[in-house]
Amino acid sequence: MSTEHKTPDDRLEAWLSEARATPPAVSDDFMARMLQDALAAQPQASVRLAPPRRSVWMRALAALGGGLGLAGLGSAAMAGLVIGYVQPDPLLSLTDQFGVTTAASVDLLPGFDALLTEDFSQ
Amino acid sequence: MPRDTLAMVPDEALLVLYANGDPGAARALTQRLAPRVLAYAVRVLGDRAEAEDVAQEALMRLWRVAPDWRQGEAKVTTWLYRVATNLATDRLRARIRRRSGPLEDAPEPVDPGRGAEAGLIEADRMGALQDALDALPDRQRQAVVLRHLDGLANPEIAQIMEIGVEAVESLTARGKRALSAALEGKKDMLGYGDEH
Repeated sequence: MSTEHKTPDDRLEAWLSEARATPPAVSDDFMARMLQDALAAQPQASVRLAPPRRSVWMRALAALGGGLGLAGLGSAAMAGLVIGYVQPDPLLSLTDQFGVTTAASVDLLPGFDALLTEDFSQ
Repeated sequence: MPRDTLAMVPDEALLVLYANGDPGAARALTQRLAPRVLAYAVRVLGDRAEAEDVAQEALMRLWRVAPDWRQGEAKVTTWLYRVATNLATDRLRARIRRRSGPLEDAPEPVDPGRGAEAGLIEADRMGALQDALDALPDRQRQAVVLRHLDGLANPEIAQIMEIGVEAVESLTARGKRALSAALEGKKDMLGYGDEH
């Protein structure tokens, strides 16, 4: 070796330095097996599907609370219409107490309304 | 992700990519870590077949833990060295148990006359170093390899070996003294004599 290895520390450092520069050889077969393990154990990439596009009607339905919400809204609307046309006596007496009379109600279909009044007033 | 880009990515980020299913990250991590952990295991165990088993098992454990890896808690290499150290220690203890068994199970002693000719080639010098390493107590050998061959800092070695930094310093100092004594005994044979 060279003459610079004068002390035991120099010689040991040269020995270790040479070992650092020449690590144990790694075979291609070993590397292939390690890669095979890595790929076999790898979690599969999760595929995120884009949410389906929804129509305006479906979005409106969702805004109302879905099918149940729409059914409730429809029932309430029908009940309002029936109450409006039938005008039951308990309701009329109640509205009278608040100073709201049937005469002051809006009469959008007078001919039809008269017919209904004739039928249900008896 | 392209390989050139992955070359600059830290191990911890590569492990996240690996857990997300990026095959490029699997290749990059394998190329980085497999030779390193194998070299460490070979030097600590002095037996290539056992070292390959230890390296393979340590890497397998890393792949399994990847989805649950917590960023910032430990370096990937520190974690891997620790696992490899524990696996190697198990193997070394198993050897001791086997040696205490029937005589025919005992391993062949190292030939003291190995490399007796002057002017050994480099491979023989490395063989002599491995013999000297094999002669060290297990913990000294692990500490010396981590410090002086793998070039790790003492605090990281302390984490790997799960001991204090002072204990690491003590192990490496004693190990280095023993290596130096082994070298001085055959410095001429190894080509480190003053006359060269």
